[in-house]
Amino acid sequence: MIQTAQDMKTYRDRIRAALENRFLRKALDNFASAYKVSRAKAFEGIDLETLKDQIATGKDQALTQLELLFNRFKAEAEAAGAVVHLARTAREANEIIAKIGRNNGVTSIVKSKSMTAEETHLNDHLEAEGFNVTETDLGEWIIQLRHEGPSHMVMPAIHLSRQQVGTLFGDVTQTPVDLEDIDRMVKVARKELRPAFLAADMGISGANLAIAETGTLGIISNEGNARLTTTLPRVHVALVGLDKLVPDLSAALRIIQVLPKNATGQALTSYVTFITGAVECGASDSGKKILHIVFLDNGRLDLAKDPVFSEALRCIRCGACSNVCPVYGKVGGHTLGHVYIGAIGLILTYFYHGKDNARAIVRNCLNCQACKSVCPVNIDLPYLIKKVYANILKDEGTRPAKNTVLSTVMKNRYLFHSLLKMASTLQKPLVQKEAGVLRHLPFIFGKAHEFRTLPALAKKSFRDQWPKIRPQIQNPKYRVALFGGCVVDFVSPEQALSLVRLLTRYNVQMEYPMGQSCCGLPAMMMAEEQTAMAVAVQNLDAMDPDRYDYIVVLCASCGSHLKEGYSRLLADTSEVTEKLRCLQDKLIDFSSFMVNVLKAAPEDFLQNQTRVAYHSPCHLCRGLGVTREPRELLQTAGLDYAPCKDEDVCCGFGGSYSLEFPEISAEILRQKLDNVENTGAEVLVTDCPGCVLQLRGGMDKRNSRVRVQHIAEVVAENLKDP
Amino acid sequence: MKHHELTYRMKEKAELVQAVVTTVCSMEDVLRYVVDLTLRQNGKSLVAPCLDSQNRQVLETFCSAAGLTFLHPPLRNHLTDIHTALTHADWAIAETGTLVLNSASEDLRIATMLSETHVAWIPASRILPDAVALSDRLIETMKSPPGYMSFITGASRTADIERVLAIGVHGPQTLHILIMEENPS
Repeated sequence: MIQTAQDMKTYRDRIRAALENRFLRKALDNFASAYKVSRAKAFEGIDLETLKDQIATGKDQALTQLELLFNRFKAEAEAAGAVVHLARTAREANEIIAKIGRNNGVTSIVKSKSMTAEETHLNDHLEAEGFNVTETDLGEWIIQLRHEGPSHMVMPAIHLSRQQVGTLFGDVTQTPVDLEDIDRMVKVARKELRPAFLAADMGISGANLAIAETGTLGIISNEGNARLTTTLPRVHVALVGLDKLVPDLSAALRIIQVLPKNATGQALTSYVTFITGAVECGASDSGKKILHIVFLDNGRLDLAKDPVFSEALRCIRCGACSNVCPVYGKVGGHTLGHVYIGAIGLILTYFYHGKDNARAIVRNCLNCQACKSVCPVNIDLPYLIKKVYANILKDEGTRPAKNTVLSTVMKNRYLFHSLLKMASTLQKPLVQKEAGVLRHLPFIFGKAHEFRTLPALAKKSFRDQWPKIRPQIQNPKYRVALFGGCVVDFVSPEQALSLVRLLTRYNVQMEYPMGQSCCGLPAMMMAEEQTAMAVAVQNLDAMDPDRYDYIVVLCASCGSHLKEGYSRLLADTSEVTEKLRCLQDKLIDFSSFMVNVLKAAPEDFLQNQTRVAYHSPCHLCRGLGVTREPRELLQTAGLDYAPCKDEDVCCGFGGSYSLEFPEISAEILRQKLDNVENTGAEVLVTDCPGCVLQLRGGMDKRNSRVRVQHIAEVVAENLKDP
Repeated sequence: MKHHELTYRMKEKAELVQAVVTTVCSMEDVLRYVVDLTLRQNGKSLVAPCLDSQNRQVLETFCSAAGLTFLHPPLRNHLTDIHTALTHADWAIAETGTLVLNSASEDLRIATMLSETHVAWIPASRILPDAVALSDRLIETMKSPPGYMSFITGASRTADIERVLAIGVHGPQTLHILIMEENPS
């Protein structure tokens, strides 16, 4: 059965084992690529953003009145001949269902797919009570035969190859099965499962929707097993999470419009079934179906009242957050979830299956925002994942030593910056001079970290160079402040120097406010919210937005944290609200500033048509929603932009993520660099110093001829003298 | 959208999910189609649970002439014997190529779930542009329970093994849609 790692050591072992599964990686990679194409096609001509907002708002409203909706549903469904139960816990739900079985003289049960039944471990309970239970969804049947949990919420057996399934079916049927012929295997399942349907006394289904106004269950499926499960046996039990309640049919239709498209890129599943009450049933003595609907609370009513986490209950179980997750794509669902899989799984596990099962997996998030952008109900999954992590740290009362150190250091800018300067001196014996990278990693890093070289700290930070190089512009067109961020300031000051050159050329007065510190995102990533809040206040104080026309960022991660993260961190600090809004209005990424404000034109640049590939940083394309400007700027600056596969997929850096999970980071990076090398580009350009660090380190390690540069550098390089 | 546009869109979208769509002019066309199809597929039996008595008699005559067994309700007695099921559809949704069947009748459910081939006819005038256009009618039906409303879009399918699409898992392996033009021009 499902055994999720409960400590980091076990979890790292599991990850290493998962990464050795080449079939899994290939299957998930193919799926991820195909999914994007079919999803886009399925949503063609549909105003998805409006639809998402409507569904999210509707869900939020429903969540504030779950008890009311439940009562309405119960009244309507019972008037139509159903019996409606409310189970407070998973165990209670299982006991209710077993009792229904016993009271009706049931011996054999067929089940159609239900994540809620997986949540309560219903099969184990029913089998222990002596019932014979058969899963009938093909994927669920396969994993039932293998005694596994699902590895994806929609495609439970996606981790298995046709050969594994064929061998399994051969063993089960005692007849050899052609190990290549998937059609045959499907027919084997059809033939083997038909007698189970015909013999069953009870069918158990889940439901995607429970429509309160009519007491109707909505079930979305492809194979047809849900229809047979709810039709042939004389008893039908539906196990439904309370979060599936919607007020009316139009709310249900909106979800139906989105769910299959977002799940698998299908316009609609083969079957959508609406069941209202006890319909005609020849197998039952009364001539009517014996219908029981068991609603499961299991923490949902409390969760619905939680000001932060209630959002998680909007989930409609489309599984898309797994489909686009770079980590899921490398390790699969058995390593990135407990019962519920992927980003939403990292959150729900804590609430439904306890902190022990969530402790390790919840740390495995890059914060790349891919899940958030694909979520059809706008759940801020990466944020909630960090909040769960924070809750677990609080529950356990102990923080990792690195968290304590980080918090102490980061809250005190003088200490933080002094330490960085000291480190710059201390690292000298380790630095390979000409390359500016570390020759040897300090011993605390293990072999797993050798997938990339790490840059040395700069000999002189940008802040130390600034007083001497600060240009004085006469009658400047604009006054801008640079928010540098730690990496630009202490590792890659050359990126800021490129900006100085460009801004000077365009007659812009630049300032570098010295009171600025780390943006605080690393603290958020380690769930140190108090620290993140303290530095946010410091930075807001240092940046004084009234004095500038724009605040430019070279680091997309800093930019998106300043824009979105600060709003949340400082939401209750009303005295800074106005200042923060002003800062956010003036905040702009480098490419957008060059293209939209300075209107950079091709005649300003050498048109040398160097072939460049582009990596779109997570926090630029999804965090700040900037996609057009960098690509346009490359072309304006005389470069030959060569589109690359998966430009908007994370590079695997994720700040401290790459230190915590180096093997996964390495694998994500490997694929990214392979894609880039396939374009034949000479230079890989991106607009985030963190991504530069990861990508350059990786290219360096593989001795690639592809150079990696920040977009400010390549653009400045091609700048013509006035 | 005009009727012929809806018909065209319905056909296009249903064919995308491997349904076979044909336009017919009369009930006789429908009855002949279903018998011919069953013979072509080497099927032996046929059910038509919701057919009116006049058409049922014609179909039974066709069946006996063709050597096919016409199975009578209740269909629970024939769960493993049904090759072809002929049913009507109450509505269709052009946007997704979907048939909508009010399936409160158990015979209708068994026919559409346990047959190898499902043939459904639908008057062209009952094709609606999208699900929203259907919602008033759906609500009306749901408000007079008990009810079992089915949206059927193509044949039964799965992609559970290596995400390879395979048709015909637990439901019918083929779906034929006969769109009946009331005023053929």
